[in-house]
Amino acid sequence: MSRPNNALLIAATIVLTTVVSYGSAGNRQGSQATPPPPAGTPATIPPSVVTAAEKIANDPQILALLKDQSTDAAAKARWNQFLELVRIPSPSRQENLKAAEIHRRLVAEWGFTQAEVMTRADGVIPASDTNIVDGLPVYNACVVIKGSYSGRADSQQYKGQFPKVLVEGHIDVVNPEELPKTGDPSIRIKLQPYAQPVVATPEELAAIPEELSFNARGRIVENDQYATASKIFANAKEAEAGGGVRIYVPGYGDMMPSTSNAFVLAAAMKKYKIQPVYDIWICGTAGEEGKGNLAGMKQLYGFDQKAGTGSNPLNFVANFGLEGGGTVNFLGSYRFEMKFKAPVPRGSGSGPSAPEAMAAAIAKIADVKTPSELRDGAPRTTYTVGRASCEPPPAGRTVVPSCSLEVDMRSPRTETLDEIRKNIEPMFQAGASAENARYGRKDGGPEGITLELMWYGLRPAFVAESVDNIAVHAGLQSGIQLGVLTSPTVGTGSGSLNDNVPANTGIPTYQFTLASSAAGAGGHAFWEWGTRGTPAAEVERMHRVLTAALIVSGFHAADGTVVPPAIGPMGKRTREVVR
Amino acid sequence: MKRLIYSLAFFACVAASTPAFAQQSGNLRVDFQGPGGHSSGAYGRVSALHAAARAVILIQQSLPAGSYQITNLTGGNSVNSIASDGLIELKVTAANAAEYQKLVAAVTNAAAEGAAAENKFRGVKPGDLTSGAPATVRSAVKPF
Repeated sequence: MSRPNNALLIAATIVLTTVVSYGSAGNRQGSQATPPPPAGTPATIPPSVVTAAEKIANDPQILALLKDQSTDAAAKARWNQFLELVRIPSPSRQENLKAAEIHRRLVAEWGFTQAEVMTRADGVIPASDTNIVDGLPVYNACVVIKGSYSGRADSQQYKGQFPKVLVEGHIDVVNPEELPKTGDPSIRIKLQPYAQPVVATPEELAAIPEELSFNARGRIVENDQYATASKIFANAKEAEAGGGVRIYVPGYGDMMPSTSNAFVLAAAMKKYKIQPVYDIWICGTAGEEGKGNLAGMKQLYGFDQKAGTGSNPLNFVANFGLEGGGTVNFLGSYRFEMKFKAPVPRGSGSGPSAPEAMAAAIAKIADVKTPSELRDGAPRTTYTVGRASCEPPPAGRTVVPSCSLEVDMRSPRTETLDEIRKNIEPMFQAGASAENARYGRKDGGPEGITLELMWYGLRPAFVAESVDNIAVHAGLQSGIQLGVLTSPTVGTGSGSLNDNVPANTGIPTYQFTLASSAAGAGGHAFWEWGTRGTPAAEVERMHRVLTAALIVSGFHAADGTVVPPAIGPMGKRTREVVR
Repeated sequence: MKRLIYSLAFFACVAASTPAFAQQSGNLRVDFQGPGGHSSGAYGRVSALHAAARAVILIQQSLPAGSYQITNLTGGNSVNSIASDGLIELKVTAANAAEYQKLVAAVTNAAAEGAAAENKFRGVKPGDLTSGAPATVRSAVKPF
């Protein structure tokens, strides 16, 4: 997107970003005020869903699966699997190592055939129309629990795709920023007693002597450190009193315990021959973090970023996310990567500086107050310049050719999201202009700092107009059936999750978690840590997720009866697939 | 205290190795360390990158034009995370060792003020904790 003329560049940038943003999120929401979110209002759950939940939750096959998962051996296997997967680095858009290990285990260890693995090492899902996102392959890892529906004489399909339910959690993590270029890429999992303070620097973290060990095959070594890390606690207070440790590893909180357990659940469904009516796909998704731009979900739902539409090429009828929350409204975000380019040095080399122009922009942005900081009652709105970097000067020179910043803005409502964007977006040029002015250079001239839009990220916001859809019904009723919810009421918050994509495409979605941690903190920071929680909670959560997914997909019960799918076979979409 | 020790050691190193009246130049590394966190979930925490940018502007204001050149400004690990680290690298040039030390002191002061401004904007002070970790952004200046 390089442009020879800065004025043209700025104009093009403004036009492009306007088209990209308002042509996508804006398509769904328009420029009118979005309706108030319905969170906090009770859902009206149909009797058929109540009946299905009771039947599925008490089915002997389901109970046998859960009994198996309730043993000490199964709890240990889940714990070990988590530790072995979480240590595999998986930066956003570089999830290939973790996806490869999941693919390997699916066939070699978890009981699936290669034909049941729906994703490939090259990042392609053949039936999707969106296999490249932001110019990169998409390293999802998905497996199918095959349903019976395709064998029915009256089955319907969308362009060759029978209906499916998706259960998903992401496999990417914000740390490390990149895969290591050389050497063993594995992350070292450090252990620290609660009596010691949380580490203040990466150097302090690296200096912790206690760490978990793994053998050459990537298997956990069950030594004294493992025993310490494996102690189970109900909460932080008990962990502190009982010799618990902080287990430092990126992804502990966000969100590998839940995603790892999704594959445990998949293997258990296979082992216990749980048969849905519609297929159920269980996926570890790519690109939820950082500049990932929800790439994994965009592949699965055929989401075109420029058009802001999803073709739903695989014909999903409902989505269940595993990142927790239970929300029905999804934060929208605008993300920009802007490059500040220095002019070619002349004479003494004195001239506008790319790092100082970028610094001027960041310093201006750093003083922004959001709508929720300025006005009582405004939706919670946030921003940060999350990342910045500069191109090294060429050998023998000291002038930095260019620097880039990445900024994130979020809000649950279009109005406030656009308000923060209107505050922040002009500051990119303001930084460049301030630096040009220090040297008497004109904006847009060849001797001034120029701007280039490198990347634009969009998470489509979604404000639900109703809490009554099948994913919410199944999610709530499964909780009520199992005694973890007392009312069919959705939460009042908003999330920014994988669910943004299906919600924006019209697919019902709800979230749970399969994780169990006694405590944890430091998400997205170098000091992300957790402490093992009770395995029983994991099993209870499996019970709920299994019940909800099977309510929607339909289920062949142990008594020979069939719980019918709770939704029709044609998934929603906002664009037709071309194939 | 750690920053003070770094600075004293650096000044001693410079003073011992530099003829008093020779032009002096050197490279400085200014590190910022903060708690970081999720860009939305942990919103309100200080940003080490924001602090570094504030410090660059203070360096502009406190050092004479032509006496320094910023050669790098970096920080953070992802767009959706509050940056836990920030880094300024710069080359400083002075007429002699004494002037050079003044410039280094000015950079050190600008770094500290940049961090302090970010801490003040987010309402945190030394000793505050966020989820058990130090809540403030801190700065340190070292030669390289």
